[in-house]
Amino acid sequence: MSLASRVGLRLEPRVDNPRWMNWAVPVCSFIAALLVGSIVLLITSQNPISVYQRILERGFLDTGSLSGTFISATPLLFTGLCAAVAFKVGFFNIGGEGQFYVGAIFASGIALSLGADAQSWIAVGAMVLAGTVGGALWAFIPGILRAYFRTNEIITSLMLNYVAGIGATYLIFESDSFWRELGGTGAVFPKGKIIPLSAQWPSFDLGNLVVPFGLLLGAVVAIWLHVLQRRTRFGYEMRVVGGAPSTARYAGMRPARVIVAVAMLSGGLAGLGGAADVGNFRHVLDPKGLQQSGFGYAGIVVAALARLNPIAVVFVAIILGGITNAGYALQGPDFPAGLVGTLEGLILFCTLGGEVLVRYRIVNTRRQAVAS
Amino acid sequence: MSNEEIMVSRGSTSSRRTVRKAGIATIALVAVLGLFTAACSSSKSSDDTAKPSGPTKAAWIYVGPINDGGWTQAHNRGREDAAKALGANLESTYKENVPEGPATAQVIDDLVKDGNTVIFATSYGFKDAMQAAAKKYPEVKFVQATGDDITINGASSVSSNYDEYWGAGEDTQYLAGMAAGAATKNNVIGVEAPFPIPEIIRQINGFALGAQSVNPAATVKVVWTKSWFDPAAERQAAESLVASGVDVIFSHQDSPTAGEVAKANNIPWVGYDSDQSAAYPTVWLTTAVYNWGPYYTEKLNSIRDGKWSQENYYGTIGDEFTTMAPFGAIVSAESKSAIQAEQAKAASTKSFGWYWGLSDREDQDGKVQIKKGQTLTLKDLYTMSYFVKGIDGSPKG
Repeated sequence: MSLASRVGLRLEPRVDNPRWMNWAVPVCSFIAALLVGSIVLLITSQNPISVYQRILERGFLDTGSLSGTFISATPLLFTGLCAAVAFKVGFFNIGGEGQFYVGAIFASGIALSLGADAQSWIAVGAMVLAGTVGGALWAFIPGILRAYFRTNEIITSLMLNYVAGIGATYLIFESDSFWRELGGTGAVFPKGKIIPLSAQWPSFDLGNLVVPFGLLLGAVVAIWLHVLQRRTRFGYEMRVVGGAPSTARYAGMRPARVIVAVAMLSGGLAGLGGAADVGNFRHVLDPKGLQQSGFGYAGIVVAALARLNPIAVVFVAIILGGITNAGYALQGPDFPAGLVGTLEGLILFCTLGGEVLVRYRIVNTRRQAVAS
Repeated sequence: MSNEEIMVSRGSTSSRRTVRKAGIATIALVAVLGLFTAACSSSKSSDDTAKPSGPTKAAWIYVGPINDGGWTQAHNRGREDAAKALGANLESTYKENVPEGPATAQVIDDLVKDGNTVIFATSYGFKDAMQAAAKKYPEVKFVQATGDDITINGASSVSSNYDEYWGAGEDTQYLAGMAAGAATKNNVIGVEAPFPIPEIIRQINGFALGAQSVNPAATVKVVWTKSWFDPAAERQAAESLVASGVDVIFSHQDSPTAGEVAKANNIPWVGYDSDQSAAYPTVWLTTAVYNWGPYYTEKLNSIRDGKWSQENYYGTIGDEFTTMAPFGAIVSAESKSAIQAEQAKAASTKSFGWYWGLSDREDQDGKVQIKKGQTLTLKDLYTMSYFVKGIDGSPKG
């Protein structure tokens, strides 16, 4: 801000919010990202058109690409919802990552303890429930600390990510826990037990397209959240607490309770994502793979791009999932991973940067000063 | 933080319209992407079609970055060596920083789509995805580093277009142990290592037996860092070893942090999987390094000749899969020649583990685990879960 005001520019909240800007800005900033990206690509002697074409093909259009994108999008969808619902009430839950791990631990735990004889719908249902409960409990800690002890939830939820990661590592690498496979190749290298077939979530094969159950579940949850936020008393309380906590207090609401509830809702969503990751794809508690993926942190980007709107989260998750997959397709000896990261970063930076212009306008303070 | 808070909470107060608009915006983004394809669809690239009698297309999947200064870098050097050796007969590519799990399968699908017919994966965590892909793509060869299914469960447990490779790092650790055993004065060598798993346990055992072969009084003190790569934990472990009185350190870790501690305390140091002789000249002894190039070259050549057969490769000193990093200046001439003599002896056996059965080997409790004259099988090595006598520390963590 200070630098901007020194050069005579200032951001001012928009009073009126012209309708066309809501779609024009993201479209323009996306095009801007492609153009800036083209410059970077040209400098590194790549052909921008064929690069963008490849992103599109490998992310979305080729046979099987969209099915792959759905797999990458599923965890992002849940962590995106996790961040969106919490940020909306001003609870900055950075802990989606850890809540995702705990959800995976709980869900794999229940699947393993139900065993191979459990009916499929019971096993899957129990995993959904256990994952949600696990994530919610993990988020309860920063929630209660923030609501009643005024602790900064950014710090506490972030730190708990490491605790959850170390906990998951302990279960597989450092103890003979219930989750760990000790027989067979498990005696050679630490790994989790594979959950029974009956607990593995289905994927629906629609000819050319395979849709994971987890993605459908996430989409349904997103619609439910949308209704919850717009049509219920709790949703109203969330909006008031998020917008004006003191007003909420005068209106007889209890902001602290709302915040704890939202923290648990948010954590539960990430935990459900962890359950989906284990149930639909991984089929095992894999602390190393989970920590390499960083779905929780990516979820924050998803939520921001979706303007914290649950329905939009579904689409943004799919787009980002596709871009992630396409990123791997681009990489190679002539296309360093760093360039992929730069390109992805530019797209995110421009689209998020553009968001500022939807809500704020740039005012030339120098001209104002002269005028007054 | 307050700035962000304002921005985000402002977003939250915006009206219901935003829902529709965000939806519209995302659709618009897709539309823009669509325009791009429409514009570009005329320039279809030609390398999507696999040529029957051209170069072999092979791909490597790495879990880390190619400049990690250790594991992945060594594999990528191996890929480059193979590319040099095969010349126009090989078209190679790689994917780095690939997370283990569902993303691995995506990457494999992409590589197959690009026409690769041989895929090397260099992290244990890729194994399940590789085996699944081997079933899905029977015409593609899948080769998995550090896999253990063929050894433990037999070749019939996996598809015939899938095999595994790894090598006897413990044999070169035995040679490095000789350097450490000769260097210690108070006969206590410190070891810091990541996890108490057979792969690490057998390397520490090899190291300890090597040290004892030149210095029967030498003991080895083990601490676990519980991490493959964590400079802070590695430093702490090294410092605790120094504080407990060791006068030589062997760090079986991916970073050279222990070298810093060794340098500060001026005590000899054995690293792991990377030559650090130039950076730590005053304390560097040596270490085991892996040389993947010859294996990759030979494997690809035999596949090109149509001679694929499922194997379970375990590289040795004899085929130069594992070698010694250059010796540091503090290694005595006497010790150097003893190690080189042993190395030559190892090479002449054309196998791994020449030293295990030199005498009865007892574990920490005094139970004989290896009888004199016994040769260990790969399965014995892959499931080794005890420490030999003379090691202070728990093989359970």
